[in-house]
Amino acid sequence: MAKSKTSDNWSSGTFFNRLRYSLWRIVRQVKKEFQLLKIDKMNLVIALLMPPGIIMLFAFMSTSASVTIPVKVSVVSYDSNTFVNQNNYSITTKWDNYTEMYLDAVKESELLELIEFYDASEDENEYAMETARNEMRDGNIECIIVIPVEFSELLTTGYPGIIELIPDASDAASIQDKLNAVQDSIKIFVEENDLDPEYVLQEYEEFSVPSKYNFRYNYNMTVLLPFMTFGISFVLTILVVVQEKPIARLLLTPVQKAEILLSKYIVYSIVLALQVFLVLTVAIANGLYVAGNVIDLFLGLYMLGFAGVSLGMFVSTVSNTKTEANQLFFALFIVIILLSGMFVPIDAMPDYLQNIAYILPLSHGAPIIKGILSKGKSFIGFDFFWLLGISSVLIILSFLVINRKRYEV
Amino acid sequence: MRCNLISTTDVKEIVVNVENLEVSFGEKKIIHKVSFNVNRGEIIGFFGISGAGKTTIIRVLTCQISQKNWTGYVKVTNLNPGSKKNHAKILSNIGYVPQLEELNLYYDLTPLKNVEIFASCYNMKKKEALAIAKELFSILDIPEDTWNKPLKKMSGGEKKRVSMAIGLIHKPDILFLDEPTTGVDAAKRYDVLSYLKKLNRRLGTTMFLITHDMEAALIVDRAAILRDGKLLEFDSNSNLITSLPSKGLVARFSIENLNEEKINIIKQFPNVSNIKTIRVGNETFEVLMDDFEKNLSKLIQFMMEKGLKLNAMSRDVAAFRRYFQLRIQEEEEKERRIRMQQETSEEVQF
Ligand SMILES: Nc1ncnc2c1ncn2[C@@H]1O[C@H](COP(=O)(O)OP(=O)(O)OP(=O)(O)O)[C@@H](O)[C@H]1O
Ligand SMILES: [Mg+2]
Repeated sequence: MAKSKTSDNWSSGTFFNRLRYSLWRIVRQVKKEFQLLKIDKMNLVIALLMPPGIIMLFAFMSTSASVTIPVKVSVVSYDSNTFVNQNNYSITTKWDNYTEMYLDAVKESELLELIEFYDASEDENEYAMETARNEMRDGNIECIIVIPVEFSELLTTGYPGIIELIPDASDAASIQDKLNAVQDSIKIFVEENDLDPEYVLQEYEEFSVPSKYNFRYNYNMTVLLPFMTFGISFVLTILVVVQEKPIARLLLTPVQKAEILLSKYIVYSIVLALQVFLVLTVAIANGLYVAGNVIDLFLGLYMLGFAGVSLGMFVSTVSNTKTEANQLFFALFIVIILLSGMFVPIDAMPDYLQNIAYILPLSHGAPIIKGILSKGKSFIGFDFFWLLGISSVLIILSFLVINRKRYEV
Repeated sequence: MRCNLISTTDVKEIVVNVENLEVSFGEKKIIHKVSFNVNRGEIIGFFGISGAGKTTIIRVLTCQISQKNWTGYVKVTNLNPGSKKNHAKILSNIGYVPQLEELNLYYDLTPLKNVEIFASCYNMKKKEALAIAKELFSILDIPEDTWNKPLKKMSGGEKKRVSMAIGLIHKPDILFLDEPTTGVDAAKRYDVLSYLKKLNRRLGTTMFLITHDMEAALIVDRAAILRDGKLLEFDSNSNLITSLPSKGLVARFSIENLNEEKINIIKQFPNVSNIKTIRVGNETFEVLMDDFEKNLSKLIQFMMEKGLKLNAMSRDVAAFRRYFQLRIQEEEEKERRIRMQQETSEEVQF
C-alpha cells in the first residue's frame, strides 16, 4: 500500500492551503453532525415536529375559546318604585319601574346570563344578598349586580342612577371581562329607555388585531413564539458537545477543537432555520396576523433562537458530564423564564432584578415579536442588537472554554 | 509469500527518538530520565505495573502533554511534539488505538461510517478511505455483513478490530496502542495479538503498545520494562531472558507447606553465588541459578538435607512473565537495601 497523498501535504504549505484543508474538514464535520442528528430521532422530533404541533394545539384551543361565554349573574334589587307617605302610610307616588327595564337589558345582552333575580324589597327576600353570595361561593354565578333603593326614583326624577357590581375577584384575570359584560347591559339599558348617560367612553383601538383574526390565538402567539423558539433551541444544544465521547479520539487526528465546535454551530443554525420556517408557516396558516414583514418576523425569531443555540452550546462546553449540563440548563432556564416578563412585568421588579432581566435573552423576545406582529416594526432595534451581543459573547466564551478543556482518550 | 513484506533488519530508520525524558506534574516527577529509540517496522511493548508511567510516555509522544510539563529531547517521525506547530503533522503521521472502544467510536454508526468520519479528519477522500478500510477489514477478518450495521451490535473483539483499522486508516508510520488486550477475554487476547502481528507484517507499520498483559511479549520485537517512571530494560525478549542465570533455565518445585521461611532456607544454597527464587503458587516456587545443570542435583540434595518435603519437580525455560517478575523483584530489593542504608546512616548522624 502506497503512502496516502492527501495526508502528506495537507499540513504543510501556505496559509491558504491550510485554510482550504481546514474548511474541507469543517464541511466533513458538518456532515458528521447531520449523521449524528439523524440517528437521534428524538432530537429531530423535538426540533422540527414539536413546535408546529404546539402551535396547532394553541390554534385549536383558541378557536373553541373564542366563542364568547356569557358571564353568569344574579341581580339583587332593593329598588322600590312606590313612595310611601310616612305619616299616613298611603302610597302617594308611583315611579316608573326601571329595575324591570334594566332586567330586560341584562336578558338582552349576549355577554350576560341571568341566573336569578331577587326582589329584596319584598319581605320574604330579606336574605337575598346572603343567598346570592353563597351562589357565588359555589361557583354558580360570577357576578352579583345590586340595584339600590332609590334606583327608579332617581331615574324618574332625572338624576343619574347607580348600579353596584360585585364580581368574583378570586379569578383576577377575568374581572375586566365581567366589567365589560355589565357595561354592555348598561349600554343596552340606556339606549332602549332613552336615558341621558353621564358619560360615554368611546374606544378606538390602536395596534389591535383586526376583527377577522382570532384575538386570543394572536395574543398567545406573541408570548409562545419567542418562548418556544428560544427554549427549544436551548434544550436541543445543551448536550451536543458533552455527549460526544469520541471527540477525545478525534483530537488525536489533525482536526482542531475549533473546527469541531464550529461545525456544530453551523449544523444547529441550519436546524434552527428549518425550525423557525416550519413554526412560522404553521402559525401563519392558522391565522397569525403579521402587521409587519414576514421576513422581519423570520429574522427576529431566528435571532432569538440563535441566542438559545449559543447559550445551549455554552452550557454544553462548560459541562463535564451530561448530568451537569442538564442541571445547568434547568437552573438557567428557570431563571430566564421567571425574569422574562411573562409572569411579572419587568418594570414592576426591584431594580437589581430588572438589570438581570434585561441582560437575559428571553426578555428581549416578546418586544421584538410584538413589535413585528402588531406594530409592523422591523426586527432591527435595540433588542435585536442586544441578542446579537449576548450570542457573540457566548460563542467566544464557548470557543475559549473548549480550547482550555482537557480531553483524554 | 507476499513480496511487499518489509524486513526490519535492513537499514534501520529511527522513527521515535527519546533522550532523557522527564515528566512532572507540579512538584511530582512522574518520568525519570527515560531514553530509547524505536526503529521503523518494529513492534515495541512497554510493560509495567499500574502507575508506572506507560500512558504518560505515550501521551508525550502523541502531543497530549504540554511542553511545560516535560523536558528532554523527543522526536516522533523527526518532529518535536513539544512544539505546537508540529502537532498536526505528527498526528497525521501516527495512529492511536485507545483502550476503551465505547468512549472512542460512534456506537450508533456503522463501522464504515466511523471510518469515514475519522478519515475525513486526515483530509482523506471518502472513496480512498473506504477502499483502505475494506482492505484492513478483510485482513482483520471483520465479517462483511457487519460493515453496514451499527457498531453497537458487534462483539467486543470485532469492535477492537474496527478500532485498530481506524487507527491505521491513514497509513500512519507509527501505531500507538493503549492496552490492546485489556478487557478482551482470554481466548480472544491471542487473536488480537496475532492480528497486530499480521498488520505489522503486511503494512510494515511500527507499533508501540503499552500493556500489563505479559502475553503481549509474544509478538513484540523489543520490550521495555518500566517501574516508577524509570526505564529498567529495553531489549528483545530473547536477550532479556538470556541475561538470566543459565540463560533462563528454571527449576520448578512443589513443596509441602511452603512458606517464606522455607524459601529463605533455599536461598542459603551455598554452591552458587547467583541464585534467584520466585514463588509462583501456593506450594510452588521456581529457582534460577548459574551453572544450572551442574547444580540442580546438588540443590535437590540440599533441600532434602534441610528437611523440605518435595512433592514434584519440573524444568523449563523462563518466559517473559517470569523475567518481568524477577526484574521487578530485583528492583524492589535494591530499593529496600538503599532505604535501609539511608536509615542506618541517618541513625549514625544522630
Ligand atoms: N495529569 C496528571 N497529573 C498528575 N499526575 C498524573 C497525571 N497523569 C498521570 N499522573 C500520575 O502519573 C503516574 C503514572 O501514570 P500513568 O497513567 O502513566 O500510568 P500507567 O503506567 O499508564 O498506569 P496504568 O497501567 O494504570 O494505565 C500515576 O501515579 C498518575 O497518578
Ligand atoms: Mg495507562
